[in-house]
Amino acid sequence: MTGNPRIVVTVTGDGQLRAETLDILGERCLDYIAVLEQLIGGQVRDSSYTADHARDAQAAQERQLNRDVDPA
Amino acid sequence: MVSVSLLLVPLAIAGAAAAQAAIGRPTDSRAVQVHTRMRDVALLAAALRDTGATVTTGPDTLTAAWAPARSTATFTRNADSIWAAHVTGMDQQQAVELVTNVDAAYGRRVQQTVLERLRAQAPAAGLRLESESVDDDASVRLVFEVEQERA
Repeated sequence: MTGNPRIVVTVTGDGQLRAETLDILGERCLDYIAVLEQLIGGQVRDSSYTADHARDAQAAQERQLNRDVDPA
Repeated sequence: MVSVSLLLVPLAIAGAAAAQAAIGRPTDSRAVQVHTRMRDVALLAAALRDTGATVTTGPDTLTAAWAPARSTATFTRNADSIWAAHVTGMDQQQAVELVTNVDAAYGRRVQQTVLERLRAQAPAAGLRLESESVDDDASVRLVFEVEQERA
């Protein structure tokens, strides 16, 4: 799934929700926690960054490392 | 790119998973008390009717009767506003089974309510419903396109 940012919400048969943000830049995805809480009238019980976040952090670290060793 | 995964619990459901169908101390030898995760009285009444019960509402109680079994359950709120069931006319195992069935019906009611809220209110939050599908386990998957990212 590429292009515009998306939020995928799964409402289970026992009334709970799982949600995942896709392609939302930076920490802005955290803004949607409050949006979803307001939309459903509920609270977040658990949250975690996905693999995208881990890849992003690793890429940032590699960029920093390259800057550190680049003599130019 | 940063993505976050969330587990959300509607206010109609008590946050503690342990609240679901836990057996309490019997109030007397003929009754079994079963704690639940249910908070919303309207959804509880609807769920009870879904299981075939006749429901009578009082100021602070909800009584459900199932005619063939001659069993009744009286629901009262605890200090956390969560409903507990006092079941008569059946043994402990049957009481837990009954409340588990009511809980399942309650979950389906909460699911319907949440889906209605999402469909109705998402556009105002800048989310456009792009697709909706039902999984084998009756979960409903909604994909929203973010029309305008929040500042």
